[in-house]
Amino acid sequence: MEVPINQHRMLLLPEGAIYWINTQTLLIADAHLGKVTHFRKNGFAVPPQIQFSFYKKMDSLLATHSIHRIFFLGDLFHSARNAEWDRFVKWNQQCSIPAYLVKGNHDILSQDLLAESGLEVVDEWREEGLLLSHHPKEQTGFFNLCGHLHPGVRMQGKGRQRLKIPCFFHRPKQMILPAFGDFTGLFILQPKANDQVYALGEKSVLPISLRKK
Amino acid sequence: MSATSIDQWFAEQGWKPLPFQKKTWKAYAAGKSGFVNAPTGSGKTYALWGGIIQEALAKPPKKGVQALWITPLKALAVEIQQSTHRMSQHFDPKWKVDLRTGDTPSAARAKQRKRPNFGLVTTPESLHLLLGSKEHKAYFSNLQCIVIDEWHELMGSKRGVQIELALAYLKSFLPQLKVWGISATIGNLDLAQEILLGADAEQAVRVVSLRKKTIKVKSLVPKNMERFPWRGHLGLHLLNEVVKVVERSRSTLVFTNTRAQCEIWFQRLLEAHPDWAGQMAMHHGSMNKETRLWVEEALQNDRLKLVVCTSSLDLGVDFSPVESCIQIGSPKGVGRFLQRAGRSGHQPGKASMIYFLPTHAMELIEALALQTAIEQQIIEDRIPYLNSYDVLIQFLMTLAVGDGFSPKALFPILQNTFCFQTLDPDTWQWCLNFIRQGSQSLENYDEYKKVTVDENDCYRVANRSIAMRHRMNIGTIVSDADLLVKYRKGGFIGTIEEWFVSKLIPGDVFTFGGKNLKLIKIQNNQVLVKKSKAKKAKIPAWMGGRMSFSAHLSELLRNTFYQLETSNSLESKALAPVLTQQKKQSLLPRAEELLIETFPSREGYHAVFYPFEGYAIHMAMASIVSYRLSLLAPTSFSLAYNDYGFELVSDRPIDLEGLLDNNLLSATDVLEDLKTGINVSEIARRKFRDIAVIGGLVFQGTPSQPIKSKHLQSSSQLFYEVFKDYEPENLLYQQALAETFDHGMEQGRLMQAFERMNTQEIRWVKTHQPTPFSFPLITDRLRAKMSSESVEDRIRKMYLQLEKDLSDGSTH
Repeated sequence: MEVPINQHRMLLLPEGAIYWINTQTLLIADAHLGKVTHFRKNGFAVPPQIQFSFYKKMDSLLATHSIHRIFFLGDLFHSARNAEWDRFVKWNQQCSIPAYLVKGNHDILSQDLLAESGLEVVDEWREEGLLLSHHPKEQTGFFNLCGHLHPGVRMQGKGRQRLKIPCFFHRPKQMILPAFGDFTGLFILQPKANDQVYALGEKSVLPISLRKK
Repeated sequence: MSATSIDQWFAEQGWKPLPFQKKTWKAYAAGKSGFVNAPTGSGKTYALWGGIIQEALAKPPKKGVQALWITPLKALAVEIQQSTHRMSQHFDPKWKVDLRTGDTPSAARAKQRKRPNFGLVTTPESLHLLLGSKEHKAYFSNLQCIVIDEWHELMGSKRGVQIELALAYLKSFLPQLKVWGISATIGNLDLAQEILLGADAEQAVRVVSLRKKTIKVKSLVPKNMERFPWRGHLGLHLLNEVVKVVERSRSTLVFTNTRAQCEIWFQRLLEAHPDWAGQMAMHHGSMNKETRLWVEEALQNDRLKLVVCTSSLDLGVDFSPVESCIQIGSPKGVGRFLQRAGRSGHQPGKASMIYFLPTHAMELIEALALQTAIEQQIIEDRIPYLNSYDVLIQFLMTLAVGDGFSPKALFPILQNTFCFQTLDPDTWQWCLNFIRQGSQSLENYDEYKKVTVDENDCYRVANRSIAMRHRMNIGTIVSDADLLVKYRKGGFIGTIEEWFVSKLIPGDVFTFGGKNLKLIKIQNNQVLVKKSKAKKAKIPAWMGGRMSFSAHLSELLRNTFYQLETSNSLESKALAPVLTQQKKQSLLPRAEELLIETFPSREGYHAVFYPFEGYAIHMAMASIVSYRLSLLAPTSFSLAYNDYGFELVSDRPIDLEGLLDNNLLSATDVLEDLKTGINVSEIARRKFRDIAVIGGLVFQGTPSQPIKSKHLQSSSQLFYEVFKDYEPENLLYQQALAETFDHGMEQGRLMQAFERMNTQEIRWVKTHQPTPFSFPLITDRLRAKMSSESVEDRIRKMYLQLEKDLSDGSTH
């Protein structure tokens, strides 16, 4: 579903990414690559196949949209280096699309490793009135696109229906992206009157209506 | 001065051995294993310990532990250690008995390990910790006997599986080991004996203590019948009746079902009788240990008139001054009700007296059924667990952190247990792969580390932090994560379950430790609060577990119900106005009728079915019927169930014509539909939580030692989702599906229930508003869901509630 942000056209995708149409840029937050292996190294039997879900989603996104640039809005890699990092570096070099990492709190890999990967690493990024960051930020004159929170909402409906689901959380001056990674969990947010929430369906992104208590 | 025989020692105490004690000594002396059927307070400890002493008198014990005594509760362990130690000391001062529980300081534990004494009293968890220590075979080499106390309490839980595993394992290197079980009466006592004694059961002796206690049950029913509430879980409308019982009893225990309920009742009783301050106390699991011990001691010494408690006082030391017990709300089981009743009337010649306080009208029916059950001695079964792979995996890890294990040697030992009697080589290999590789296929990119296998095929844990984490995690009691409650300005108050706090928002007032506290915020596993002067506090509803109704009990409940109108009891008289109202709006079904009520409400469209088959069967039925309905057209349902019936709610009218025309109550394919239904409804999600913790998938640490590395935090929910999507064949995931219905009910009973329903005439009543019968169901907050709609379709019909304005309490 397309959402205008200032003069920009933003396409919210059901995979949990944003396609910034004007600049043909893909925005991704909280992929948490390496988390599966980090857990497994410590004796927690997370299904190993999960580590490939990132590449499946990326392949399908790259096939559907004309992408000239990728921004990872932090927490790209979950932990210290493990085999998953090498796989990512290989993928990144093969895919040869300029990729930027806006550093997040989990991105603890050394500068050298990051530099070798071909990623351009920045603390934050400003472009045409947009501020890309990992943590949610407020800055006058800028609209903030960020991650970090893994936003989700708890919806309800008639017939005692309840549903907990990941979402794009749109505040007046901010858009928080859902976590792109598949083994990441949700943080439930409570919307206020000026917020708009877009839920991730299976094949589409849908706006949710808000009601007063 | 040393006694030289058990008879002499008894005589010195001024006691006379009871026949069941003598019989136990005799059987024990013959080297037999056995099973003692005796209630708490019957002298069962001396029955067993007498035999152990006699054996030691006949043949001087070698070094090391001679006797192990396993008990489910730490409080009981203390009591038993004291009495067995005291007794042993009369015979030989060298015969000492140690106590080893989670509360034992590590220095004392190390000493016990290095210089073991004659006896050791411990819990199932601590026993497993011993099996996970190096050179434990040498430590146990002179063990003569292991006693499993209160086996009826353990058997229906995964702690029972832990005991089965430990026994089979110990017997594998101690073939002469005598195993003795002690159990109160339960429905399936024979099975209880068979599970515990395994292959020895045939030669084993059953000893029965004949002492039967008279138990008197009385319902507390209000004078004014018109005002009996249709729903509710607190029962405060009967406060005055409780006060009267307390006034006329020397000492009274008031049993509540939750800690929150316990707190509220304590406060309200104190408000009603401020002069009781100092003579009344509260006892529940969140209170600190010192306070609890103080309460127990004061109760014992006749200093307390009244204690409001939870299941924390179900078991344990006998308090002789207690004259009456009061049960607030459904005890969810005859066994538990009897256990609680048994806490009163310990003075010679006195009967146990228990009052049942129904919190809403429908519980009056339960009160009647309970009385009949006790009269006819119908007690529910304790259903043992089968194929608990979570406990098995934990046990494998326990052995691997100790001396390691060889799969070839261990496999037949496991097959000797009741729980894993059908374990096959493929499943066994799955479990081994799981701890060794963390998956079923070994990939070269993988860095999984847990258990390593040496050249002799011995499975061991090499990594110290993994070993340490496992030791901290041994056990199968998974309580909700506990959070520390602290004053904002400092000062620790106690611990509280996470789910309770999760129902609160900052600014809410709740009662804890007898105080009203205002929640400020939750931060780093700590609940920060300040004192509040507010009178009203939040009370979350009952979330506790319930026991399963045996077939007998469901029948009893059903018959009680069908005979309500002709019964002359106090309870049915109290129910009369409710029954009249029910008949006015709907009808009272007869035995050959199945009542279905449908009505709309602000929430949606309701359909309530009343098969009267008990909670577990209704849970299965709700899942099957809603699943079948969801196949007719994409629909989403919310489900609730209790002992009388089940409810489906949807956002559109429920297609009951479709249900009847398509014969969706049919008994065909019930088991297939059940399986698919569980999968779709995600009811298993709740079961999976415990499995994930026991099976070592998630580790949360403890309130005092939270998990250090934040990068390793996850939740069972997350694992549930990834297994569902990526590894549905995972045995732990499959176990959650199986446990949802298999544990607590037999599939045969479900079939019978469907067949019975098919012989009944369907009475479908369309009403305009909820009937009295439907009330407890439609107000139940604990629900499952079933949906055949796409996520997108569901989202379109939903909405989000805006955050409450917390800035201040004034209206704008």
